[in-house]
Amino acid sequence: MNRRRVWETTRPYALILPAMIALFLFVVYPVFYLIKLSLYKYNLLNKDKSKFIGLDNYREIFTRDDFYHALANTAIYTVGVVLCTMLFSLGVAVWLRKRSRFNAILQAGLFTPHIISIVSIALVWMWLMEPGHGLLNYVLKAFGLPGSPWLQSSSTSMISVILVSVWHSIGYYALIMVAALQSIPPTIYEAAALDNASRFKVFWKITLPLISPQLFFILVIMTIGSFKVFDTVKIMTGGGPNGSTTTLVYYIYEFRTTSIGFASATGVVLMAIIAVLTFVYFKVLAQRIHYQ
Amino acid sequence: MKNKFPFIALTLALIMTLLAGCGGGGSGSEGETAGTDSKAASGEASSDSGNSGSGKETIQFWHSIGGKNGEFLDAMIKRFNSSQDKVEVVGTFQGSYQETVTKLQQAVAAKTAPDVTMLERSNVQLFADAEVLEDLAPYMEKSGLSKDDFEEGLMGHSYFNDKLVSLPFNRSTPVMHINKSMLDEKGLSIPTTWDELKKTAEALVVKENGEVKRYGLTMPYDTWYPIAMITQAGGKFFNDEGTSVGYTTEASKTFKYLKELQNAGALYYPPSQDSGNITNQMFTSGKVGILFQSTGSISGLTQGAKFDYVTAFLPQDKQFATPTGGGNVAMMAASKHKDGAWEFMHWLMTSPEGAQQFVIDTGYLPFTKQMVESDAVKQLWEKEPNRKVAFEQLQYAVDTNKSVQWPQVEQEFNKAIQAIMYDNKDVDATLNSYKEEVDRILKN
Repeated sequence: MNRRRVWETTRPYALILPAMIALFLFVVYPVFYLIKLSLYKYNLLNKDKSKFIGLDNYREIFTRDDFYHALANTAIYTVGVVLCTMLFSLGVAVWLRKRSRFNAILQAGLFTPHIISIVSIALVWMWLMEPGHGLLNYVLKAFGLPGSPWLQSSSTSMISVILVSVWHSIGYYALIMVAALQSIPPTIYEAAALDNASRFKVFWKITLPLISPQLFFILVIMTIGSFKVFDTVKIMTGGGPNGSTTTLVYYIYEFRTTSIGFASATGVVLMAIIAVLTFVYFKVLAQRIHYQ
Repeated sequence: MKNKFPFIALTLALIMTLLAGCGGGGSGSEGETAGTDSKAASGEASSDSGNSGSGKETIQFWHSIGGKNGEFLDAMIKRFNSSQDKVEVVGTFQGSYQETVTKLQQAVAAKTAPDVTMLERSNVQLFADAEVLEDLAPYMEKSGLSKDDFEEGLMGHSYFNDKLVSLPFNRSTPVMHINKSMLDEKGLSIPTTWDELKKTAEALVVKENGEVKRYGLTMPYDTWYPIAMITQAGGKFFNDEGTSVGYTTEASKTFKYLKELQNAGALYYPPSQDSGNITNQMFTSGKVGILFQSTGSISGLTQGAKFDYVTAFLPQDKQFATPTGGGNVAMMAASKHKDGAWEFMHWLMTSPEGAQQFVIDTGYLPFTKQMVESDAVKQLWEKEPNRKVAFEQLQYAVDTNKSVQWPQVEQEFNKAIQAIMYDNKDVDATLNSYKEEVDRILKN
């Protein structure tokens, strides 16, 4: 009897133990290790040469111009990508909401970029954007427009990277939105039709509120994802020219061999920023979301 | 509840396999990439015990040479393995120099580092400072080798606090590659000074409708070339005490010179990504007349060029000067097979089958007196005088960017180069803020 009770109380813990072990090993422990590293001038090769320097790394972060520069770049990238992707995906989703064979083919086509490795995509876009003999400038010139330096000038490099990221992710988010749109009960639309509601009103008062949980989900996921952007930047620009596309994660990466303590401290700052952002989103937006 | 237990056990077992998979991943791939000859010595078992099935001692060797040159390197390792029956070297390509550094840092921390590794010469200091490189002096003595057997200009990064921590292997310098046919067309001779270079480069420019169709000069995006020019102008990259920059106006002079050429359309400064390939391509396709580039590309350019292709010293301002580059080999202090590792390194340095053949195959610089005097190298130079030029330039080799903090400084220097060359930022203001950063880094 007693034995049975012990098992009753320990059973839930036993059941979550495997998951917790993995979580602890791969999430909790690394996070604390990161925080620990951020307090050191750390020498990975020879631990005896590491020096505890307290908050010096953090002090350095907040006095460095290039950190704010990277932060601003990340913000611009995030706003750009999230806004464009949301708008275009929503447009595409509304366009493709009717179930038909033609739409299914279009949808598959739009989804394709998502299943291709971002590395290949970035490389192909680099060729397209080559200022001298790339296809994009060729097309621009064919229409009598001046070519753009794309990735090779600090004034256009960020917008070029955003363009590629948006192109890559539209299909995926459109798919989620199409599913959301198709799950809205037709009866609501029928009621609106009986009331002679305008199409704009129907979209604004019925469609949008009803898919707002999905939109909110996409917003959060995409903001976090964009804040952590790395692959496109690494391949297409290497953070340049002149730091114009150095985002936070790339900034951290740049310090990987030279000063691990500083890189870790920046990682902690990034983590804090994302935590705050997510928290704010949940607080502000959760009240406005319409759950059926 | 009885039947839940197996489930938990299963999950645990799964996690364990996962963990084991992660841990073993690194050493597993070593066996795969090392090529055909290393199949026998696969995986961790051999590196732990030091003995593979055949009773040979296994030496792990990490390097950064891929592509065609990587095949030459594999062939060389194969020659070593069949030349004797005590040591089996397993070579592993670890990506670029920079990637190798990153992997090596992690491997040292995880105690899975190789026995012998290639290090880009400017990174040697970083590892030597952390005391993870073996002092090679006693081994040299034992084998009757002395530092005088090596070319002096290439030993700049071999010493750290009077310890011999690395030996040259695949070394290079920047040289001037010239499209002689293009110069002849215009009746120009090969420039030997900055002034001549400027006139020549400007004369080669071809413009159509305001667009430059042909440039005079180009060079990859790299700190190497500005450093070379700073020393040519009479400055040093770091001062001798290693506390600050070692120039006064020379850096500013260098960048203003480059900027002037760039603004006139005479210099094409390539985008940072893939700049080496872009500039090589422009040179071989006749879109630029003069190219600053590593000696390592001579054989590639010789094959690609459909014109009279020659090499020459980098032009002088106040003096001739060139930094060196490429990789050294070093023995890790934590290695358990140091004697075997030394046997391999010794063979590399002395056997005509070793680095000498590799140098002949690839176009890197011969680095021992024995190699330079060998018939094989002499014949090669007879056939390809372009390669001899690179070697002769070594008399002016000087490395002024030696510092433990170099990787961190290089990062800042790259930023300055980008600001000036891509964004037309004011040269003096950029160099001033760069100097402040350097002083801050070196103070730590």
